[in-house]
Amino acid sequence: MTSETYGIGSQEQTAAGRVILMVSSFLAALLVIAGLIYATGTGARHKAAVAAAGCEPSLFISGLPCTTEQMMASRYEAIVTPATQQLNTEIAAYAVNERRDLAAAEADLSAEVVTEQAFDNSLAATTFTPQNRAAAEALIQNATSSGTPVPLAAAILTPQVTVIADALIQANQARATLLAEQARSPSLIQLRSFNRRVQVASAAVQTEMKLIAKALDAPSPAG
Amino acid sequence: MARNTVGRWTDERPAAYDYQEVPRGGQDTHQPGLMPDAGVATRQAEKAPAPKRADKSRVDEWMEVEFKFGGSRIKRKAPALILLGLPALVPLFFMLPALITLNSNTFAVSVDDTLGTGAEICLFLCLLVTPMVTLTGQRWFVPLRRWYGIMMAACAFGDATAAGITDNFAGGVFGRLAGHVFELMGFIMVMLVIPLVLTGNPWAQRKLGKYWKRLHRLIYVIWGFLAAHLILLEGFGFERGSNGSGFAGDGDPIFHQRLYQYSACSVFLLVLRLPPVKRWIAARHKEGRMWLVWVTVLPLFALFVFGFIFIVNEEIFKGLDSFTEHPSGE
Repeated sequence: MTSETYGIGSQEQTAAGRVILMVSSFLAALLVIAGLIYATGTGARHKAAVAAAGCEPSLFISGLPCTTEQMMASRYEAIVTPATQQLNTEIAAYAVNERRDLAAAEADLSAEVVTEQAFDNSLAATTFTPQNRAAAEALIQNATSSGTPVPLAAAILTPQVTVIADALIQANQARATLLAEQARSPSLIQLRSFNRRVQVASAAVQTEMKLIAKALDAPSPAG
Repeated sequence: MARNTVGRWTDERPAAYDYQEVPRGGQDTHQPGLMPDAGVATRQAEKAPAPKRADKSRVDEWMEVEFKFGGSRIKRKAPALILLGLPALVPLFFMLPALITLNSNTFAVSVDDTLGTGAEICLFLCLLVTPMVTLTGQRWFVPLRRWYGIMMAACAFGDATAAGITDNFAGGVFGRLAGHVFELMGFIMVMLVIPLVLTGNPWAQRKLGKYWKRLHRLIYVIWGFLAAHLILLEGFGFERGSNGSGFAGDGDPIFHQRLYQYSACSVFLLVLRLPPVKRWIAARHKEGRMWLVWVTVLPLFALFVFGFIFIVNEEIFKGLDSFTEHPSGE
């Protein structure tokens, strides 16, 4: 009798525990299942969040401020605008000198070559390479650590834009080679004979510049 | 009558209540905080003159077996305890380079994430010991509770010290430590940890006698204050896109919400401490139906693991940033 009473009492005592455990476990199971379902959408949410923040997915570094399209375009413009202005000045000077002063015209062409090479080097520093990416990450991390804004130099081009930038650099180098050859002309007549070929090379450069400006949604520089 | 007496789950319960298996309902399963193993043994010897050695689990017995290591003999549980205890050092290890180079920027930016999260992890590990004893009936890992408690205190003190020196809040050291309500919660937690650390030794346990256990229930108060701290810090909601492990979000803002992580972990730790639940588990154990316990508890444990993984994820990411002295301010 005592053991029966005890048995019933024991069952009653453990019933509350069973109910608590069952209910909490059921709720926990629902939460875990909901969490797993939610986790399946991680990739899509990540892309959406990156896009909403205007970040370039290929340049996204978890835990660090992202590189936006605006930053990329600004950096490209910061390189291309002064170079284009400089080139325009040198081309204008060459146009004045090509018919009357061989030495001055050759100096203008040499200056163009230097400007082109500087532009190529600057642009190459923004392309998507392991070295550039590591340098950019270091700049972003330093800025984050010190609480300062991310410098423009930390913005590098995406792999897609890098393909166009590489083509632009190649076209520019071809033009620079031609200009260097033109600058070695012994006479004004021979000097001017290069003009047609230089125009074709310049057109190739312009085509690549328009493509890159379109890819970056940046205004194409005049010149 | 029986319902009024049998339901008690205290040290004073009569041994005749045989449905309460002694190793499960013994003193250690209650102790929340920094109980030293030697102290446990002393108290058990005082209160229970005939210890129930027969109830010792087979794993416990296996762990007690000594083996030769170098020139000495050590128990099997020693390396297991070291391996399980080592991760608790990781938060402090992460901050070591910044401490050596006295990099105040790293301390100012990320010490709260690295050591604060580290203290939270150690607290949960400390609180996990009792439910694991309840579930497994094993006791060989009980010394870890004290170790995790000490490491929680070390992380909390480190966090408070660095915050008091390097934070940018106005009002001097006190302003930096308790100038905001969420900070005040953290400061109170640190203050509450002090008596636990000071009395987390056999000598203090002997001197304090029955008050020792009451004092060490402060760990539950700290657990509660941590909830308040996180509510004030993060709120109940989550920010879309900016609450992940990156500025643009990693697509998991809910998983990175610290209050949700805390809640997911706490449910398991809390439910397994409730006396009716412990009684139910003890009864199933006596019936030899532990499979039922495991099946029932599994979702709760899965939820705990779910929450805990993301706390550890936070610790690793922020900790590595601190270790490389490029702290993430996010």
